[in-house]
Amino acid sequence: MDVFLQQLVNGLSLGGIYALIALGYTMVYGIIELINFAHGDVYTLGSFFALAVLTGLGVSGEVHGPALIGVVLVTVLAAMLCCGLTGVLIERLAYRRLRNAPRLAPLITAIGMSFILENVMQLWRGPSPVSFPSVIPNPIVHLGPIDIGAKQILVIVTAVVMMFALQLFIYRTRLGKAMRATAQDRDAAQLMGIDINTTIALTFLIGSALAGAAGFISGVYYGTTWFFNGFEAGLKAFTAAVLGGIGNIAGAMLGGFLIGLIEAMATQYIPQGAQWTNVVVFSVLVLVLIFRPSGLLGESLPEKV
Amino acid sequence: MRLGNAAVRVLAGLSIGVLAVGCSSSSTTSQSSSASSPAAAGDNSNASGGTPIKIGIEFPLSGGDASNGIPSDNGAKLAIQEANKAGVPGGFTFVADDLDDAVQGTHDPAQGAQNTKTFISDSAVLAMIGPFNSNVAKAEIPLTNDAGLAQISPAATNPGLTKGPDAKKGLTHPDVIAFFRVCTTDDKQGAAGATFAKELGKKKAFVVDDNETYGKGLADVFEEQFKAGGGTVLGHEHLNKGQGDFKALLTKIKSQGPDLVFYGGTSVTGGALLRKQMGDVGMSGVTFFGGDGISDDNFLTTAGSSANGSYYTLAAPELSKLPSAANFIKAYAANFKDPIGPYSANSYTAAKIEIAAIEAAIKANGNKVPDRAAVLKNVAATHGFASPIGTVGFDANGDTTAPILSLYKIENGKAVFVKQVNLST
Repeated sequence: MDVFLQQLVNGLSLGGIYALIALGYTMVYGIIELINFAHGDVYTLGSFFALAVLTGLGVSGEVHGPALIGVVLVTVLAAMLCCGLTGVLIERLAYRRLRNAPRLAPLITAIGMSFILENVMQLWRGPSPVSFPSVIPNPIVHLGPIDIGAKQILVIVTAVVMMFALQLFIYRTRLGKAMRATAQDRDAAQLMGIDINTTIALTFLIGSALAGAAGFISGVYYGTTWFFNGFEAGLKAFTAAVLGGIGNIAGAMLGGFLIGLIEAMATQYIPQGAQWTNVVVFSVLVLVLIFRPSGLLGESLPEKV
Repeated sequence: MRLGNAAVRVLAGLSIGVLAVGCSSSSTTSQSSSASSPAAAGDNSNASGGTPIKIGIEFPLSGGDASNGIPSDNGAKLAIQEANKAGVPGGFTFVADDLDDAVQGTHDPAQGAQNTKTFISDSAVLAMIGPFNSNVAKAEIPLTNDAGLAQISPAATNPGLTKGPDAKKGLTHPDVIAFFRVCTTDDKQGAAGATFAKELGKKKAFVVDDNETYGKGLADVFEEQFKAGGGTVLGHEHLNKGQGDFKALLTKIKSQGPDLVFYGGTSVTGGALLRKQMGDVGMSGVTFFGGDGISDDNFLTTAGSSANGSYYTLAAPELSKLPSAANFIKAYAANFKDPIGPYSANSYTAAKIEIAAIEAAIKANGNKVPDRAAVLKNVAATHGFASPIGTVGFDANGDTTAPILSLYKIENGKAVFVKQVNLST
């Protein structure tokens, strides 16, 4: 039982990272039905931006006291801003012209964009993994038999808070309403006076900014990053978005946490389970899609953003 | 957010330019070498002065494995430079033709096979050095065997590549082997690892490997030998390629209470992150023990301070303890700015052996370009060859006759030499 609870924590914190990336995937898909394969690389870019800011601030280890809040805020906001702008730039350069092209064209462009970002990052920080300062102290909280690191709590809480913030933004603000309208019918939305270019750019800004935050958090959590980090994480996050119902914000978070939990439990309870985690994850995905083709929450909340 | 069309075009052009730069930087070596190939191709018959003779070099030169590949590549290049400086019989010039087998940041057997085919189809290539990794070697051995192209690996340690029932399977010329190596094999490395672990007083081990030819082979030998020596193996798990979060696996391992975690695999396939995360789940007190796959700088930089207290074996001698290596260490430092790697000297030795074989074949052919078969015959006959890593030669399987293993402990972010054993029989 103790081990089960410990694996629950492991799974949730791993899933939290997936969830944060999946939110951006699902937003972009929701509004223009594009699988933005470059999103995983924007997430890696976020960790490099954050690393650059931390280096600029002269942070190389743990920070304590009030300075911690300042350092974290400055770094996260800078990483989010840089990633957000990168996302907007990618949309403007690579996707906008192809908005009315056949589906395959923007998909291939997205893959190309992903290669460009990977190569730019390889040029910038080299091909080898680079270490990331731990920044946040990681006291272990002993909850009965289980140990939870402060960083694990941070990952889980951030994912949940971001999800609720996004939900509020999309369902309670005018801009959110414009996004929902654009997602439902782009032409009609335009006729109603919504500037769809700005709305779509805004979607990329927010989605990519979330990836930037995830990049910072994963850097702090794992203590390392490298240019190819986003490939595997992006793939899992995309799977999470599909599992939860692509286009659905709550679904992306649910899918992320589920995949993290499945990986942790498969590792623990299947003999030699570590090598079978991907098989188990994708088997669950196939089963879910057979019975619920639009994902776990895909139908109950049909509005896409 | 309204950019003018012209501005968009400029930005798009810029990003394409960046892409082009990115591509060229990741494959600089292959481009520079391919530029020299048209001039060299296919004039085997006339021994005109300065005709290049190529030696194909095949290592992971980018990605996480580059900290292994580049120092090894440099070792081979140093030997070629020295040979050209000393003068090649017949007035030929040796050219290093190096290709990268890393795809998406990790060594890749399919890319290795592709590179080998490139060497084979270039008639100016008379011998080949590489690869670094055993799974890549497994893909390449049938190709060089078929073409009769002599190939020496400085670091591929999986015993099954040269020995055992599967070694000769699928070879077109099982009687004329073309693959040789100057490193010790994992049947010896795994056994030595088990002995060292017992000497450290470890009794309960948990074995993890990366499921590759090298890693799984090494881990299996360790498990078998550790059990044979009276130790208990609590479990044996395999990692997924590309995985980065091992907390769940480590929680499982921790619950079984091992006093040693043995890792078969390379740093980039999970070793470095596994060790790093042992600290996160409160296992930093458990000894981490690996093979030569974690002997690179990547392990130290990625695992950071958690790397301290780890042990690893190396399938090569410690150079600083060898008087024969002093000149090599000096020459390496004078020529390259990348630090010397654990397999630089092996790679240098492999190149030296091939150069000697080619030069002997040139002389025997009346100062004309020899054929690959003559070179291969000379390489196979190598014995008592003086090199920085000692006197080397090849046995009937193509393995080194001087298997030496060293043990290292990581202290304060640096590998500290512990001891060395010579396992020659």
